[in-house]
Amino acid sequence: MTSVSYDIELNGVYKSYPLGKSRIPIFEDLTMTIPDGDFLAIMGPSGSGKSTILNLIGGIDTVVRGHVSIGGSMLDKMSTRALTRWRSEVIGFVFQFYNLMPMLSAAQNVELPLLLTDLSAAERRERVHTILDIVGLADRHDHLPSLLSGGQQQRVGIARAIASDPRILLCDEPTGDLDRKSADEILELLQLLNTKLGKTIIMVTHDESSTRVAKRTVILDKGRFVSEEIAQCA
Amino acid sequence: MRLSPSLLIRQNLTRKLLRSILLILCIGVAFFIFGVLSSFQQGFKGASAQTSRLVVASKVGGNETLPLSYLPEIQALNGVADVTHITRLRAYVENERNIVGANAVDLESYARVYSDAYAFSTEMLRAAGADRTAILVGRTLAERMGWSTGDTVTLTSFVHARSGGDRNWRFTIAGIFDGAEMTTDTSFLLARADYFHTAVMRNKNRVDLFGIQPKPGADTQALAREIDALYANSGAQTRTQSETAFMSAFLEQFANIALLVRLIVGVAFATILMIVANTMIFAIRERTLEIGVLKVLGFSGGRIMCIVLAETLVLFALGLCLGLCLTAVAIPVLADALQSVVPGLYLTPRVIATALALAVGFALACGALPSINALRLPIAAALKHR
Repeated sequence: MTSVSYDIELNGVYKSYPLGKSRIPIFEDLTMTIPDGDFLAIMGPSGSGKSTILNLIGGIDTVVRGHVSIGGSMLDKMSTRALTRWRSEVIGFVFQFYNLMPMLSAAQNVELPLLLTDLSAAERRERVHTILDIVGLADRHDHLPSLLSGGQQQRVGIARAIASDPRILLCDEPTGDLDRKSADEILELLQLLNTKLGKTIIMVTHDESSTRVAKRTVILDKGRFVSEEIAQCA
Repeated sequence: MRLSPSLLIRQNLTRKLLRSILLILCIGVAFFIFGVLSSFQQGFKGASAQTSRLVVASKVGGNETLPLSYLPEIQALNGVADVTHITRLRAYVENERNIVGANAVDLESYARVYSDAYAFSTEMLRAAGADRTAILVGRTLAERMGWSTGDTVTLTSFVHARSGGDRNWRFTIAGIFDGAEMTTDTSFLLARADYFHTAVMRNKNRVDLFGIQPKPGADTQALAREIDALYANSGAQTRTQSETAFMSAFLEQFANIALLVRLIVGVAFATILMIVANTMIFAIRERTLEIGVLKVLGFSGGRIMCIVLAETLVLFALGLCLGLCLTAVAIPVLADALQSVVPGLYLTPRVIATALALAVGFALACGALPSINALRLPIAAALKHR
């Protein structure tokens, strides 16, 4: 898997949503490329289409026209079954409100996507242990989400997202529900995953200060990119 | 605890424990009703449900009788292996509320024709053959009345008087017989027909029924038609039917037991079905976001559908166990209290097997809609659900 370059390409994407009897276009001709290993922050006002881009890249929403291609795989040509399998192998999602299973412990939440792999129970346990160690929650294995702070829950969310070792992490406002200190810790963790583990990260955010960890920041408005900044240190 | 699909199912069911317990109780009550009523139905049917025997009665019905002289003619028919005759004494013991089932029969032929239903030992038949006033008493009746072999009992017939006009019949118990199965009705006694027909004042050599054991492989429907055709122009026309149909018709004089059972069980299950299906739909709707997350993580719609179906199966399995346990506790109590009404009241393997099949069917039916909803749920829409 590592030999394949997972460049993300959106080409001539048209996407609209129904509103009553009519449809409101979000993107009319969106074209963008995100190279493998990039850390892209997407900013913009509500309704500008930020989350829709994540959904299209993650294969959880479909284009009306145009193509989404990732590592040579055309998402719009895949069957639902193939897309589900592809997503479990290539994509990791990090949500604003963590979306952990409330009745499962931190370790069990992280293990959840590994149930779909061929790993044995012992191998799964070992990987969960390693990942929770990476995100700094080695001592919180058996804690239910309700017993963890927001920052800790988001770490579990990130651990779950990287459990099956995906190449791409899609983060939808990962710090939106956190205080500054916790947000900074999460951003550092994401930066670490990008720089040390080579994960491609696409992060939607409203928080301008969060973009400091990204290599590139684009601003989206009414379905169009209106500006792009490339970080000095990138 | 190790994560597995079964753990997911368990955690989902226990996250709202009270709701799950109430659902299990609900299902348990439905299966309790089913278990008790089906046991009643089986008890009423007794052993007749499995037999190929035919019963010949008067076409007119009611208390009309048939001449005993029909017996050799029926015996001579091609499809008949054996035949016996039965005359009901219509009697009570001590007071008119204490009615007992009592039949005057030819014990030898009766034992042959009903050999699959009742266990008559050679000793008890020999003992009965030695005494004209002997009777053989079914185990259930003997236990209910506290009778044992050697006892002398007096039966008072509602309709049959002895030659002197006395309606009291004194008998000596020559043996106590058992049923071949636990549901077989043994709440009656058998007296000797030769004694009865000699001593009775009126209707000598008139019988209520003929019991026929057809030859193996004989077409019983054709045989029934042949018998009825034989007496179509006689003074005592016959109606021949299977023993099962005869028993059903007999019971339907009082109530359509099968219909009653089906109605009550049907209403109980329809209600349960709606409650459980509705609750499951809401339970799954509450988990819309979680289902969306599972799909994002790579769980296929089919896999999630299986988890939801498994949850309803577990609910129904627990409810079934509860219902059958309650039934197993209740049946002996009811059997004791209703011994004279439903003598063969037991929770049979057949009722358990039917309940099991129903549980699986209803679980799939109840789980179908919520699981299909989960299957169809678009991920993007599910993730917006909070």
